[in-house]
Amino acid sequence: MGLGAWLGRVLGLGGGTAGPIADTPFVVLDTELTGLDERKDDIVSIGAVRMRGGRLELGGSFHELVNPKAALQARSVVIHGITPSQVAARPPIEEVLAAFLAYAGDAVLVGHCLPVDLAFLNREARRVAGGPLRNRTVDTLSLSAWLRQRHVEHPAFAGPPQGLGLFELARAFDIPVVEGHTALGDAYLTAQLLQRLLPLAAQAGVTDLASLLRVGDPTRQAEHLAPPGGPSPF
Amino acid sequence: MLIDDAVRFLSQVPPFQFLEPDLLREVAQSLSMEFYPKGTVILQQDGSVSESLRIVQKGVVKITLRPKGGGEDVVVDYRERGETFGLVSLMGGQQKTTIVAIQDTLCYLLPKERLNELLGSHPAITEYLLQFHLTKYVDMTSREIQGKSLFLGTSDHLLFTAKVGEICRRAAATVEPDATIREAAQRMSEARQSAILVLGPGGSPDGIVTDSDLRSKVVARGHSIEDPVTRIMSRPVVTVEEKDPCFEVVLRMLQRNIHHIAVTRDGVLHGVITNHDFMVLQGRSPLAFSEDIERQTTLEGLAPVSQKALTVIGALLREGTRAANIIRIISELNDRIVRKVLELAELELGPPPVPYCWLALGSEGRKEQTFRTDQDNALVYADPRETQRERVVEYFRRFTVRVRNGLIRCGFEPCPANCMASNPDWCQPLSVWKGYFTGWISEPTPKAVLNSQIFFDFRPLHGDESMAWALREHLGRLIPDYPVFLGFLANMLVKNRPPLGFFGSVAVERGGEHKDGLNLKIKGVTPFVDIARLFALEKGVRAASTLDRLEALRGGATMISDLVDELGDAFEFLTLLRIHHQYRQMEAGRNIDNFIHLDTLSSLERQSLKNAFRLAMKVQDLVMDRFKAFII
Repeated sequence: MGLGAWLGRVLGLGGGTAGPIADTPFVVLDTELTGLDERKDDIVSIGAVRMRGGRLELGGSFHELVNPKAALQARSVVIHGITPSQVAARPPIEEVLAAFLAYAGDAVLVGHCLPVDLAFLNREARRVAGGPLRNRTVDTLSLSAWLRQRHVEHPAFAGPPQGLGLFELARAFDIPVVEGHTALGDAYLTAQLLQRLLPLAAQAGVTDLASLLRVGDPTRQAEHLAPPGGPSPF
Repeated sequence: MLIDDAVRFLSQVPPFQFLEPDLLREVAQSLSMEFYPKGTVILQQDGSVSESLRIVQKGVVKITLRPKGGGEDVVVDYRERGETFGLVSLMGGQQKTTIVAIQDTLCYLLPKERLNELLGSHPAITEYLLQFHLTKYVDMTSREIQGKSLFLGTSDHLLFTAKVGEICRRAAATVEPDATIREAAQRMSEARQSAILVLGPGGSPDGIVTDSDLRSKVVARGHSIEDPVTRIMSRPVVTVEEKDPCFEVVLRMLQRNIHHIAVTRDGVLHGVITNHDFMVLQGRSPLAFSEDIERQTTLEGLAPVSQKALTVIGALLREGTRAANIIRIISELNDRIVRKVLELAELELGPPPVPYCWLALGSEGRKEQTFRTDQDNALVYADPRETQRERVVEYFRRFTVRVRNGLIRCGFEPCPANCMASNPDWCQPLSVWKGYFTGWISEPTPKAVLNSQIFFDFRPLHGDESMAWALREHLGRLIPDYPVFLGFLANMLVKNRPPLGFFGSVAVERGGEHKDGLNLKIKGVTPFVDIARLFALEKGVRAASTLDRLEALRGGATMISDLVDELGDAFEFLTLLRIHHQYRQMEAGRNIDNFIHLDTLSSLERQSLKNAFRLAMKVQDLVMDRFKAFII
């Protein structure tokens, strides 16, 4: 047990991070938004699936459409395929968020480009629950970027330069992209991506949760994303 | 969509496809999914036991076994999309193999508890999964014990159709409860059994003592052998009814980790079955069967083994084995039985005074028997010196009669036309056989042509093959000199037109010549056999089997050289149809015949049958053209 993990255990912080990744509960999530402007856009839906380590649980996924305050913007409607009338009958964000927080518990939250989702979730959480989410987080984008620097020979990372968008990665890892752009569909895709990334991470020495949290830190995307002379990720 | 994906996948995968849609959806809810990059060790031999049944969604895994005694890992099996693994480990509480992903592999995991519920509520699931896993398990176990090389055929599914009573041959050794350990051990060694039942009051088995009890409780722990046997017996005795299917019994052995189970008949103790018996049953695979045949040293032992060989065919059919392989396996088994009978006869009568060769004729010669057919055989021996002639003739007379009777005991009916080596006409020295062949070819009377059709499909089965080849060469030299002989064969061939009218109205069938159905052998298979024989004889092809003959003619200069594939396919189709038909009759306990009715065929079968007929007619037309000078 590393010192940090030991301290964490002793101080009772966050349930400890020394455990093997295989035993770690993850909630892999995605949100669909009316737009990317944190000040005026809203969450349209939240989708999530559970994993324990690399094992993806098919039952008990989470998928709720939200009745947003702002009118749906035409552009997002095109992307998400969710029409205003579909949304009108849905519960308000307060209820959905409470349900999601209950669903997530203290699992590690995982998302692709997680800061965007987190920004909206935290905004609502602050408003509704009085503070941001306290869960530990892993960003598959950060993780992919980190791994790409260490697994250049892996087929998914080799070949012509490519972006690290969710769909590009899914295709590179041969994950079937059936139904994009629903919150649950993208969460499912992200979960499958995590399944592929974890063994690669293990090869690179990332076997305990603490290491995973470090290399998958959502705020460290930029560090991994700019290999000297490398292609732009987007 | 996660669930939808899984449901869509499972609804195409046995045994889950047998589940009602609602239940399937419910099962999908309990699944999880794992990804194993190429090279991942998913389960490790002697490692922790699997808690789920894994269903391969994508990729391939390799199952290997490290032999107990050391040595290299043995590949037991591969599993791919739609197949499952981990059941035996899950049930048996022991991981006996190592399973590695040899490609990037994605699996659905069905948790043990959910699986158990399914097994309890859905016999079809149970049967399928056990069939799929346990055969391979039993296969593997026996290999492990024998340290033998692999036999990857999996034709031992009889484990799942056989009743335990069928393989429980030995009566149970029993002992009274007041007996001593020594007495029990003596009784066991007298009865040559690895277990003995200790009877309770009322005569029903109360406990069991096995070899391993003697080792672990008596020798290792120092029990006195004068102690009562009840001290070391295990209780209760696990009991099954003789009607129970074998796989259930194997399952119980696995679950309880025991090797002996008492078998009752209507509740009364009947015998004991051991895990070894199941390995012998696994032995109903063709390979092990032939080993079983080889092991026999008496006709008494051989006859029951031989009778059971027929059951192999059912297993092959259920597995969808190709007709060509089925008939090859049948021939192989029959050959071994015949050879064994010949060896036993040699043992009894002493070595033959001159070398001989046993010839298989007709369909046996062509290796095209479906179910065991009549005996069709002959014997050729080296020409004896004048001084020994009488002794030689007498030896082979006694020899062939003995063989005929032995074969009858093994289930080969005698030939009604007496076309057997026991007929003195067909037990002759090489010079006489050459004379026969010369006679039939130079003077092709109808009788001679008929004989040629049986005898020219000869094949050496046992003894000195050189005589058979000498005969074959003799034949090859004769044919070009007597073109009229092939003309007669051609003549007979074109007369046997396939009955396309069979496909006409039902009325024709009811009242007409096909009221008994179509004779698949004469009207279906025979034209193809005759076609192959005609051209093989013309070209001096040594092979006797139809498919081998066709293969030898491929790309050559005959008019059928370009039709080899089509002819072979048609022949195989007709053969398979015939085997299926006869197997169904055998299973139903009816007499076996060659008559099929149109209404029992699927539309695909009808279409294929029609195509086969058309092909035969096309070739007949070609033959008619080629041999028109001889067509009467």
